[in-house]
Amino acid sequence: MVQVHPLRRRLPHAPPQASPAVPGRSPLRVLIIEDDAEVARNMADDLAGFGIEAVVLNEGGAALAPGMGDGPFDVLIIDRMLPGCDGLALLGQLRERGVETPALFVTAMGALADRVAGLQGGGDDYVVKPIDSEELSARVQVLAKRRTRPNNATKLTCADLELDRLHRKARRAGQPISLLPLEFRLLEFLLLSRGQPVTRKMLLEEVWGFHFDPRTNIVETHICRLRAKLEAIGGPPLIQTIRGAGYVIRDA
Amino acid sequence: MVLQAIALVLAFSAAGVLARVSIQQMNEQAFRTDVLGELSSLDDEWRHKGVGHLPYTVIKRERLWHGFEYGLASSAGGYLAGDAALAGLTRPGWTKTFGAKGLVLTYTERLPGGGWLSVGRDLTTEQRQMGALTLLLLLGGAIGVAICLATAYLTTRWTWRRLDQLSATAVLVAEGRLDVRAPIRRSSAPDEIDELSLAFNAMLDRIGRLVDQLRRVTTDVAHDMRRPLTRLRQKLERLGRAAQATPAIADEVRKLDGDFLEILRTFDALLQLAEIEGSPRPEGLIDLTEVAGRVSEALRPDIEDSGRTLEALMERVQVKGDVDLVAQAIANLLENALRHTPAGTQIELRVEHNAGAPRLLVRDNGPGIPAEHRDTALAPLGRLESSRSTPGCGLGLAIASSVAVWHGARLELADAAPGLEVSISFPPSRR
Repeated sequence: MVQVHPLRRRLPHAPPQASPAVPGRSPLRVLIIEDDAEVARNMADDLAGFGIEAVVLNEGGAALAPGMGDGPFDVLIIDRMLPGCDGLALLGQLRERGVETPALFVTAMGALADRVAGLQGGGDDYVVKPIDSEELSARVQVLAKRRTRPNNATKLTCADLELDRLHRKARRAGQPISLLPLEFRLLEFLLLSRGQPVTRKMLLEEVWGFHFDPRTNIVETHICRLRAKLEAIGGPPLIQTIRGAGYVIRDA
Repeated sequence: MVLQAIALVLAFSAAGVLARVSIQQMNEQAFRTDVLGELSSLDDEWRHKGVGHLPYTVIKRERLWHGFEYGLASSAGGYLAGDAALAGLTRPGWTKTFGAKGLVLTYTERLPGGGWLSVGRDLTTEQRQMGALTLLLLLGGAIGVAICLATAYLTTRWTWRRLDQLSATAVLVAEGRLDVRAPIRRSSAPDEIDELSLAFNAMLDRIGRLVDQLRRVTTDVAHDMRRPLTRLRQKLERLGRAAQATPAIADEVRKLDGDFLEILRTFDALLQLAEIEGSPRPEGLIDLTEVAGRVSEALRPDIEDSGRTLEALMERVQVKGDVDLVAQAIANLLENALRHTPAGTQIELRVEHNAGAPRLLVRDNGPGIPAEHRDTALAPLGRLESSRSTPGCGLGLAIASSVAVWHGARLELADAAPGLEVSISFPPSRR
């Protein structure tokens, strides 16, 4: 079984792109390829609310035009069931042309086999419709950031918290914190997307490898325990809850 | 095969015995005719030459020997000529008696004037011939039985081999391969097995079409439903944002959103059930211990915070399977144990080899499920009255069971006395 792990999918030495998206300075730009005009428009509006610019295409073929699929976009959002073509085949063609832009499939095809096919076919992330705006923007931001900030750093930090990935040790204000392997992975993933919200679903997929939705509040409980460990040393809370959306780790 | 052999030996023996008896009877009949012929020739002699001349005729015929034995006795029973044993016969009609050379078939008649004349045919040669014949019949029978058995064995083996191919195909189909077909001979005219194979293949074609159809319908339903669901979700979100100023409405929208997620969860679960049943069996080996460990560690804090305990006892076990589905099945079982038991319940997760076959057990000491309700608990959307009040769509156990079946495994509910024991027994690893 291929354990698809988006964190490790993109090679660390991927060439830096021409127009790196720096949050706060130039807004992220995404290309939405989705045949349902209303859904696409709503997605674009939702993303605008998060400061992300979106260009919408309602046909797969149009994405192959110069300046579209291969244009200066930070993320491609692709539906799989497009009239006359599969979004998977479309992405395949773009990848063949050397387009390295991260691609996010947002699709109605939700079987596990479809997900595996999507990720093996050049997709960087795969979510099944319906998807809420927080989930969409969080995934877009993580994908865009992954391009500009390499994730192979051996040390990750946030305020006085330091995570040594080589020796798998965590310290806060110089004091060691003992973490269970799962807690380490959770903190690592939060730190890799420092300053950006990550959703409950993203954490389930990345940290636990669960592609289903458990009824139990697995994420909440683990975050709660991790928080307690981080705050036992003292200092301001680092992990913040974004209501209805997820979590973010950042300097107060 | 043994029955066939016994039947064959009996049939050949009966035929042999009949043949031998009828040949013997035919021979004896021929001898009697011969004897009576010789007797009438002797009768002719004494009628012409008188009874007194008969001893000389007998002596002469004995000398010239045409294969007959003679006996002549006076009216007082005294020996006159011929074989002494035959001359001693003084009762008219057929007898078998031992003469000088051996067994003789004799006919005795009374002469006018009181003497006795007997003519006989020596049976010794005939007996020897019958012996040889019996031997020949036995040998022929044995060869016949051997040929019949060999032919039967070869045709039966051929038939068995073709039936084996058919059952091998059926086994593959049971494992989820719908692309295989039973072999059909093309060279000769179709026999019963070919017809069986043809019917079997036609059935497979039909199942294949139905599964394809189901898969297509599932995908279509998914697509057609997810489109409006996506719009509904987007509108709900918009509505929620617009209603932020009026808390009462915002609250209603949040409740609507909760209902929406509940519908979505059931929808996803139903689709997943259909998808699992329609996809081919997994081939790759997965580490059941790792998956079970990952799921139990994920759920442990929630289980412990709720006042229950979780004990995981793991042996190193690998099975052919799909990591995501197995993880989901285990999570469903543990979540059931968490939701349908009172606080203080002890939950146990075991991964072990049970007589060479991998097995996963989730056991609790909660209230359990009475035997008569276990089938209902396993059925999709089947919820027990006692669990109607707890949240859930009643698909968790059905999905776990469906995942088990898809892996060639069996999910069973049992009494843990007290509590419930759910076991997933995988097929023995063939290595």
